[in-house]
Amino acid sequence: MYQRLATSRGHLARLGFADVDAAVDLIGRLGEEPDALVESAAFSADPDQSLRSLVELLEANDRPDVLHRALRNNMALRERVNAVLGASTAFGSFLRRHQRVWRDLEPFDLDADEVPLGPAPETRDQLRVAYYRRLLGIAARDLMGVLSVDEVGERLATLAGETLRSALSIAATELPEQAGQCRLAVIAMGKCGGYELNYVSDVDVIFVAEPAAGTDEAVAMRAAGQLASAMMRICSDHTPEGTIWQVDAALRPEGAAGPLVRTVASHIAYYERWAKTWEFQALLKARPVAGDEKLGEEYVAAIRPTVWQAADREHFVEDVQAMRRRVVDHIRAGEAERQIKLGPGGLRDVEFAVQLLQLVHGRADESLRSGNTLRALDALTRGGYVGREDGAALAEAYRFLRGLEHRVQLRQLRRTHVVPEGTAELRALGRSLGYRSDPVRTLTREWSRHAQEVRRLHEKIFYRPLLAAVARLPGEEVRLTPDAARQRLTALGYAHPASALKHLESLTAGLSRRAAIQRTLLPVMLGWFAAAPDPDQGLLAFRQVSDALGETPWYLRQLRDEGAAAERMARVLSSSRYASDLLMRAPEAAGMLADDAELRSRTREQLVAEMSTSARRHDDPEAAVAAVRAVRRRELFRCAVADLLDLLDVHEVGDALTDVAVATLEGALVAATRAVEAKLGGELPTRMALIAMGRLGGHEMSYGSDADVMVVHRPLAGSDEPEAANAAKAVVNEMQRLLGAPAADPPLLLDLALRPEGKSGPLVRTLESYASYYSRWAATWEAQALLRAVPVCGDEELQREFVELIAPLRWPDGGPSDEQVREVRRIKARVDAERLPRGADPATHTKLGPGGLADIEWTAQLVQMRHAAAVPGLRTTRTVAALQAAVGEGLLGRDDASRLVEAWELASRIRGAVMLVRGRSSDSLPSDVRDRAGVAYLCGYGADGAGRLFDAYRRATRRARTVVDRVFWG
Amino acid sequence: MDKQEEFVLRALEERDVRFVRLWFTDVLGFLKSVAVAPAELEGAFSEGIGFDGSAIEGFARVYEADMLAKPDPSTFQILPWRGEGPTTARMFCDILMPDGSSSYADPRFVLKRTLAKAADMGFTFYTHPEIEFFLFQDGPSFKDGADARLEPVPVDRSGYFDHTPQGVGSDFRRQAITMLESMGISVEFSHHEGAPGQQEIDLRYADALSTADNIMTFRVVVKEVALSQGVYASFMPKPFTEYPGSAMHTHMSLFEGDRNVFFEPGAEFHLSKTGRAFIAGLLHHAGEITAVTNQWVNSYKRMAAGGEAPSYICWGHNNRSALVRVPMYKPTKEQSSRIELRSIDSACNPYLAFAAVLAAGLKGIEEDYSLPPGAEDDVWTLTDRERRAMGIQPLPKNLDDAIGLMESSELVAETLGEHVFDFFLRNKRAEFDDYRRQVTPFEKERLLPVL
Repeated sequence: MYQRLATSRGHLARLGFADVDAAVDLIGRLGEEPDALVESAAFSADPDQSLRSLVELLEANDRPDVLHRALRNNMALRERVNAVLGASTAFGSFLRRHQRVWRDLEPFDLDADEVPLGPAPETRDQLRVAYYRRLLGIAARDLMGVLSVDEVGERLATLAGETLRSALSIAATELPEQAGQCRLAVIAMGKCGGYELNYVSDVDVIFVAEPAAGTDEAVAMRAAGQLASAMMRICSDHTPEGTIWQVDAALRPEGAAGPLVRTVASHIAYYERWAKTWEFQALLKARPVAGDEKLGEEYVAAIRPTVWQAADREHFVEDVQAMRRRVVDHIRAGEAERQIKLGPGGLRDVEFAVQLLQLVHGRADESLRSGNTLRALDALTRGGYVGREDGAALAEAYRFLRGLEHRVQLRQLRRTHVVPEGTAELRALGRSLGYRSDPVRTLTREWSRHAQEVRRLHEKIFYRPLLAAVARLPGEEVRLTPDAARQRLTALGYAHPASALKHLESLTAGLSRRAAIQRTLLPVMLGWFAAAPDPDQGLLAFRQVSDALGETPWYLRQLRDEGAAAERMARVLSSSRYASDLLMRAPEAAGMLADDAELRSRTREQLVAEMSTSARRHDDPEAAVAAVRAVRRRELFRCAVADLLDLLDVHEVGDALTDVAVATLEGALVAATRAVEAKLGGELPTRMALIAMGRLGGHEMSYGSDADVMVVHRPLAGSDEPEAANAAKAVVNEMQRLLGAPAADPPLLLDLALRPEGKSGPLVRTLESYASYYSRWAATWEAQALLRAVPVCGDEELQREFVELIAPLRWPDGGPSDEQVREVRRIKARVDAERLPRGADPATHTKLGPGGLADIEWTAQLVQMRHAAAVPGLRTTRTVAALQAAVGEGLLGRDDASRLVEAWELASRIRGAVMLVRGRSSDSLPSDVRDRAGVAYLCGYGADGAGRLFDAYRRATRRARTVVDRVFWG
Repeated sequence: MDKQEEFVLRALEERDVRFVRLWFTDVLGFLKSVAVAPAELEGAFSEGIGFDGSAIEGFARVYEADMLAKPDPSTFQILPWRGEGPTTARMFCDILMPDGSSSYADPRFVLKRTLAKAADMGFTFYTHPEIEFFLFQDGPSFKDGADARLEPVPVDRSGYFDHTPQGVGSDFRRQAITMLESMGISVEFSHHEGAPGQQEIDLRYADALSTADNIMTFRVVVKEVALSQGVYASFMPKPFTEYPGSAMHTHMSLFEGDRNVFFEPGAEFHLSKTGRAFIAGLLHHAGEITAVTNQWVNSYKRMAAGGEAPSYICWGHNNRSALVRVPMYKPTKEQSSRIELRSIDSACNPYLAFAAVLAAGLKGIEEDYSLPPGAEDDVWTLTDRERRAMGIQPLPKNLDDAIGLMESSELVAETLGEHVFDFFLRNKRAEFDDYRRQVTPFEKERLLPVL
């Protein structure tokens, strides 16, 4: 015999033994007629381990001959023992220690009830042995495929119940006095309550007690508490026979801080008054399991109605939304990839989602009130609350994940939900699930397929049935009623469920290709909309875009094939009216959503080239500027989208918008010049340059900023100066007219108020005129304004000379005089006192409020005026760069600068967000509730973060204000 | 409509309640009340009662004036002092913004936020206030001319713990306590205090939010009972130059679950490391939070007088001159381990004061401040030099100093939230400016005869 096998090492390898040498060794210790034993070991999940355990089992037994004979003669026994040994080392050692327990696996018919275990256990050790024998019975039936996943969970929960009853009766024997003073009932919660327990898990319970007749309530409750703790310890204590499990009573009212035992009335009082929504969710699974049966029933009967009224509670919708957000965040947390329970696409996701739907729809529909996840899912499917195929697929995925979890836990009987990484372990796991060929790959593939299914859970179980409510989908006989659909939309955050349903109806009606694509897409998009503060707005805008673009082939293709594009579109539409408006006017811009490269800002050179070329292509100035403005509209959309998707920080947004504005000016200058030349019938008699000032000069443009400019010109040699000035003025007027004309895009207003003498001065000047004006009249505010001056387009030589001209003015040697510093402060004091619009709240005014943009910019500018002559780094038009340069030179404390920068960035960010959300610019935080939520959302404070954003803004500006007080006001 | 709300609506019917007062507290600690008819209550539960926030001290201008007062049905109580005629009930409210989020101007929300922070660290905060106040024969009169009388006359001439037979005081206390108990507020202790007409009533310890609600109720009850007995009650911190003022010594403890974390068997004074760090936090930030715990110009008159009122930042075991006192430990009562802060006065806003105090203590725990040695002597009897040698700093001497310290406190700004912080400072600066302009009797009496 030995000879035959020894010569067939190849046979052993083919049988599935990984370590053939070891196997040969072990077979030598197996005794006579090993073949059948070897073959059944080979059939188990882990042949090597099974064979080794089998040998050890025989060698440890005091009657190895009896066991050996039984194994040889009884094929069923042989297979069961090997199945257990191959799947669980823990049961291997249990079987070695308890030499007769193998007989539990002997009965012919495993379908029959388990073997009776003799008298009720009276000690902790007896209870443990009895428990593990029963557990072995369940494991063997599970591994032999006699029990389904559902049945395993049910049997385990039943076993847990019996164990709790035995433990309680041991406790009552140990504490007879206490047992006489009270009636105590144990309520199973969690997975035990839902008949879906794991092999190794804490068992969640709640205790309820009433005084025995004639006992004082305080005495009785103390006794019940002692009894309950004793019962918990009896289960969890470590004895030579190990431990059973922890009994966890943390789901009770007030959690770990509350009393262990309460009366029914006290439970009810708590749930009526204090309970959180998640506690009702937990109560879905409550059922009496041990102790006084009548009391347990009373408790459940009393508690049930409060559970089903949960949906009527104050804050239910908010709570549900918060819970939903937690689930979503949960799924996104990329950690714990190998977690079956909490990882993305794990069991918890399914359970949570099912419970949520039960709470939303369960009050009206009693059929949904099961504590068991699979049964509840089935009821939800039958009621039409979840699509039939989705429900089936989810149930399948859930069963798979649970089965996998069972197998993982069985190995060492440890409470783990992590799938091991080693190939050998994965192979054994795969084989234990029945994947005989290529077990590792098959297991991995199945797992990821099911997790994928679960990950798209919200789409399936929350949103898809909503479509079924409005559109008849093929294969769906039962539909969500309109009432249920409205309830669900409300729970998901839609404020106007009735109009939302109408939009859904219009988007999905009909047999067109568009409707078909939108039907598949909408369930996902509804979830994305719901993540933003104004889901209704998102859905409405989507309908509008879809109406405009619905028949365009690339649009449908993009939506269908580019997952990222649809998600981005959802975010853009539901969080920004500004971007939605731009998109509505030029829907083809939706194309850039599909491509990351498309969302990178164009360089200034690219933009200038494109816009001036577009301008030159048209002879008609209006057509030329319309072309320029169309490019601008597209670029504004690009920038807004990148901003909304957090691809740009606040400085990059400023740069991008400045570049767009400059290129627009360049294009408009070309068009206006050509228009004036056409009128003059010849070349312009002068050369011009545009000097950017203010935010444009500082690269700090916001979506709604005007373009602050000054114009300098130089008459061509031999031309008449007044004529040249008139021509230049005509060009400027034409630019203003063309850029400001109402059109489908936001106008760009030219603001020339910073020129010498302000609004009463001439629109254009020659370089010499600037020179003489500045040398004689320049006011301090003009020198200050020039700090932000930077030439942006027109004649290059003129640009250079202008910069040279103003250098000594804005960066005076030795800094400004005391008189000038006083003047700067005096003007600032007047601005503070007078500029704030009537009725505006300084605390929320990002520009003129204390610690706001003006405060910080003036502080930076004063430092620049004083030191830029000596410190080249300060010769910048950008506020933040100036502050940083000042730190480098020790002119400003590092902390002071970071307080200023922090406030400046937050204020700028809020200004940008206000424009994006409302589509209209404003310097104040919006007062409208939804707008405020939208701004908070875009600034990263979450859809419910308006209060926090406001507090953070006031904190940042208060801190900045203290620096301004010191540094600017001196 | 939840069960609580149903209960309230049913009670309105059964008890024949004709008016429901909705209570909330402004930033300065004054109780505000809106009366609604029972019929409007159902709407108030679901949507809140709208009101113009700009009419309430410190509420306006968070974004706009529209605010909602949303009654908390668990605080429903029949008001006991309107015995005859139509029954009246009250509920405390949370102040909400129109979008249903909590208003940062609501002092209750300030305390709730700080309690949430404590909860994040695993703690529940319990307080037990000893509230002192005066009973006068008559209320203040502000009539013009010769009738003008601002010098109050106390109801008796008794002193500390004196039993005054047939006295107004004991009668008063009995009725007030009965009334408090009937509103669900447990009283631990009551007695005559040190000054003529001065009373003390100690509330039972409870979580800080309930205590703060209870203090607001307490002040109303005391004033109402006084009126019904034809006397006048005042919580003014220091009505008499020559007698001690009214404090609200507050005993505090932190619990982790059902375990008092200030208690540690075998440690010095049975005070745990956490307890020591909490005290260290109180001392470290004592100056910054004084404007909140002692918010009126008059508050500082009490603390300048010595005796039982603290003027210096120090702690001591059973030392009644210290800012923080660690009371004598009672064996077998480890759950009652606690510390006592003696600066707070009866006229504070309890929500803000508890929030500030808790934040300071938590900061001590977070940053693991070390506790300086305790003071064993009566710090009043030490010389300036001795105090300096021992590193004992004075508390702010007046409201102006206190405002100055609070202004630069990130801790207080963060705790109160920027809105309340800003309003509070502006209001208190204005109060001090008004006060500065007053020509006082002191000046007239001293200077007029000689200059």
